[in-house]
Amino acid sequence: MSSNKIKWSSWPLLVPALALLAGILLVPLADTFIRSVSAPGTYTNLLTDGVTMTVLWRTVVTAATVTVAALLIGYPYAYLMTRVSPRARGILLVIVLIPFWTSVMARNFAWIIILQDGGPVQSLFAFFGAEDVVLYGSTAGVTIAMTQVMLPFMVLPLFSTLGGIDRRLLLAARGLGSSPTAAFWKVFWPLSRGGVMAGVILVFTLSLGFYVTPALLGSPQESLVAQLLAQRTTLLLDFAAAGALGMVVLVVTLVLVAWANRMGGTVSAIGVVAASPPKDR
Amino acid sequence: MARSRTVLAGAGLTAAALLLAACGAGGDAGSDAAGGAVRLTYVSYGGSGQDAQIKAFQEPYAAAHPDVTFVNSSPADIAQVKAQVTSGVVQWDVVSVAPAAATQHCGTLFEKLSFPDLKADDFVAKAIGECYVGNFGNASPFAYNADKYPDPAKAPQTIEDFFDTAKFPGKRGVITNLQNGILEYPLLADGVAPDKLYPLDVDRALKKWDTVRKDTIFAPNVGALQQAASSGQVDMFLLSDSRLIALLNEKKNIKIVWDTTVVSVNALAVPLGTKNKETAQDFLQSLVQPEPVAKITEMLGTVPVNLKAKPNLTDNGKLVEAYGPVNTGETVVQDVDWYAQNWDAVTTKLTNWLVG
Repeated sequence: MSSNKIKWSSWPLLVPALALLAGILLVPLADTFIRSVSAPGTYTNLLTDGVTMTVLWRTVVTAATVTVAALLIGYPYAYLMTRVSPRARGILLVIVLIPFWTSVMARNFAWIIILQDGGPVQSLFAFFGAEDVVLYGSTAGVTIAMTQVMLPFMVLPLFSTLGGIDRRLLLAARGLGSSPTAAFWKVFWPLSRGGVMAGVILVFTLSLGFYVTPALLGSPQESLVAQLLAQRTTLLLDFAAAGALGMVVLVVTLVLVAWANRMGGTVSAIGVVAASPPKDR
Repeated sequence: MARSRTVLAGAGLTAAALLLAACGAGGDAGSDAAGGAVRLTYVSYGGSGQDAQIKAFQEPYAAAHPDVTFVNSSPADIAQVKAQVTSGVVQWDVVSVAPAAATQHCGTLFEKLSFPDLKADDFVAKAIGECYVGNFGNASPFAYNADKYPDPAKAPQTIEDFFDTAKFPGKRGVITNLQNGILEYPLLADGVAPDKLYPLDVDRALKKWDTVRKDTIFAPNVGALQQAASSGQVDMFLLSDSRLIALLNEKKNIKIVWDTTVVSVNALAVPLGTKNKETAQDFLQSLVQPEPVAKITEMLGTVPVNLKAKPNLTDNGKLVEAYGPVNTGETVVQDVDWYAQNWDAVTTKLTNWLVG
């Protein structure tokens, strides 16, 4: 990453991207915002209807659970990827990427079959004596499936960050008398924080707005915010209320991204190609 | 440097211009105002249901009118209709829609239609509205898994039994949209007379559901409930005839209970401002004639909207025929006008109850 001053003459390179962004994002977004404030009471209704807040809270909890689960699974996996031979690393990478390349619909329908009543997961629980474990149609089932769907978004930024950490620092720590555990927590973990934050932000924000998995695997009784949005748009045709709800989700997301940036997750770490280690602090 | 900048800016402008051109081009498909060829865009829910509509409705009409062609799209979505009408770029000509929604937005999102040649007596109640025609009806009688209740003498007999989990333990299944009787059946089970259902007492209906809530799967769509019934996840269910016949054709061991049965009409409407209104209206009039109605009934196992239609049903088709001899109970057709007036309030109430 060069710190050279960006030449003004390279700005036109951004014109196509900015034009596209303005056309397909900024203008519709402004339109949505204007519509959401032009009808009276759309924002106060969100607070007072007794349902939006329940669903919003359930969505935040689900997204947070998915993020933590993806981190717990993704971190050791990404760590392993940095420690094996290039050939094994290639295989591990492909394993992460296969779900990435598979259609979201195919993966969700696969989860329906796995989680449904009488499906393999239930049979497994029944085998160990836990009868009547119903995951299909429950938030737990949605969380499990979403974790799998989101895993690549956690593993890839983690891998790019962990791979860039200079392992001689660990050797130095050991040489100075540190135990392996202490060397990991005091040296490796802080250096990996940029990647962790990037993965956390990616997974959390995507989970907040996720529609397909909860719509297929959840139930109307366990709606997440995207289902509520869909209901307000397609059943009630209340574009103003839907816009207001969308704005709230957007603001929550932006606040989180801003917070993560302050906590040391650099935006560049979100790009998988940015393999440079975060600056020592 | 200067030249490459010009090239880049030019490329950006070209891309933007192309985008705009692509957006604008969709609107000028053939229109009947200009005479000559007309292309009708027909939007339904896809799958075998739309295939059947192509065969029963579109192909005969296109054969009789060589200058008319059809373009099919899915899924039908009233929010899209609103977006098209609001933006003034109406691309859909015929859209599947709930008759209550067509009535609620009659004249604002959908064209007012006139069918002077159609006689109301020939049709199921509410099949022809100011802004829609019914393309077929759906009966959603309650059915049960006969493996779960094998002895006919001890099996559920009435809709009261559906809501009696003490007498009939087992999972219930219902679809959460308003067209399959989610509000009518609990009231019938609670003792409301079939002809006194409307105006619906929604609170009373939901209170009745509360009594069986933990034993009930609330399916988000008809496909999900069909799947649950097919895999034995639900033992009693309120599923539409076209899906019951699919289960029967799969040789699933299900029995239909003909107590009081709720019938809803599915409709086709014409988005406001289409250039092809005349053709669309003529087409809608053609598809409610006895012949196409009989054909769609044979293909889908649905309720024929035209009482003069003489469908040639299969054995399984006769088992789900709400207007046939198999139905020994009463039939209630959903009150389109009541739903049109109360749609938003009822939808909100039901959703809040479900997620709360």
